[in-house]
Amino acid sequence: MKTEALIETLAKDAAPVRRLEPPSRRTGWWLLLALPVVAAGAAVDGLRPDLAQCLAEARFVLEQGAALLTGILAAWGALASTVPGTPAWRLALPLVPATVWLASVGEGCWREWLSWGAGGLADKLWTPVCLPEVVATSVVPIAVMVAMARRGAGFHPARTGALAALAAASLASAGLSLSHGNDAAITALVWHLGTVGLLTGLGAVAGRRWLRPAKSP
Amino acid sequence: MLSAMDRREQAARWAEWMAAAQDGDAAAYGRLLSELLPVVRRMVGRRWPRAEDSEDVVQDVLLTLHSVRHTYDPHRPFLPWLTAIVAHRVADALRRHGRQGGRERALDDVPETFLSVEANTESADAPALRAAVASLPEGQRRAVELVKLKEMSLAEASAASGMTPGALKVAVHRALKSLKAILARDDT
Repeated sequence: MKTEALIETLAKDAAPVRRLEPPSRRTGWWLLLALPVVAAGAAVDGLRPDLAQCLAEARFVLEQGAALLTGILAAWGALASTVPGTPAWRLALPLVPATVWLASVGEGCWREWLSWGAGGLADKLWTPVCLPEVVATSVVPIAVMVAMARRGAGFHPARTGALAALAAASLASAGLSLSHGNDAAITALVWHLGTVGLLTGLGAVAGRRWLRPAKSP
Repeated sequence: MLSAMDRREQAARWAEWMAAAQDGDAAAYGRLLSELLPVVRRMVGRRWPRAEDSEDVVQDVLLTLHSVRHTYDPHRPFLPWLTAIVAHRVADALRRHGRQGGRERALDDVPETFLSVEANTESADAPALRAAVASLPEGQRRAVELVKLKEMSLAEASAASGMTPGALKVAVHRALKSLKAILARDDT
């Protein structure tokens, strides 16, 4: 088929389309749904009794604030990655708060290792195991994000999938920190950040399947 | 050569026409695609190494632009959006070409396979092969057409036919076996 004839055919086929809303607005819609789900996940165990004290601690606020910001920026990134022409550096923005989060928790682990030694860290590591709760709380927000991302152009399915999972898992981790009483940094590193990393990796793999590249009609 | 102001006006015009196209204005869309054609050809030409099939990539870009036209935000610049589509489609074509390149051999390197001219004439076998493919059961014929003739991946063929990748593999295998038998029978 000649390209000029193709253009004629496409122009004839120019039915009105529903324009994709800007990623910031779509992120807002997603947060409206994801935050209540995360709040419900935290409410299942009940808020931790020392929450007021925790909120007065700079480290707790910094870590949970960084987790929340990672979630919001990753959600924006996941949706923006389905809009052609979004600069790649803007999609990498969640790495900034994620690094702050990781650095703060990592530094906490270092201090715990100095005071408790390897044996002490191992004792703390297995109580409690937060992985199933972070995963369970992330499922619905991830599913909604995937449904929203599929409306866009699936040019970078792995990237979109990873960001979608990072968004949901970071919010879930921040939410569950309001109910989980174990303050050990090693627990946060392995069972919170570790689960977030695991889900992000799985999101990248699953994204290739569920967020397939846009095909020519 | 366009001045900076002309380029800005041109980009603003394209953004306006695309917004109109999103609302179903076929005339604006036709004008937009016609004006974009030489631009897309230039962009593809810079990235795609083979002039002989670059028009296929250009058409692929236009088809993709059509299928994702709802993702364009009229408040955002038009050119980065277009450039991303071109870059994505060219990268896709390069990957596909790389995959096929591993399975293909340049025919120029093979001077002649048989002495007789007929044996080297592709068209001599074509009617027999077409007839053999046509005689296959529906499922096998469809599988061969999609996977072998249209060179779709199993996932793409599965999406197009509704058959599972496993069923497609089996159907292609059986079809090739049947074709061998039919063509061998015809030769004797």
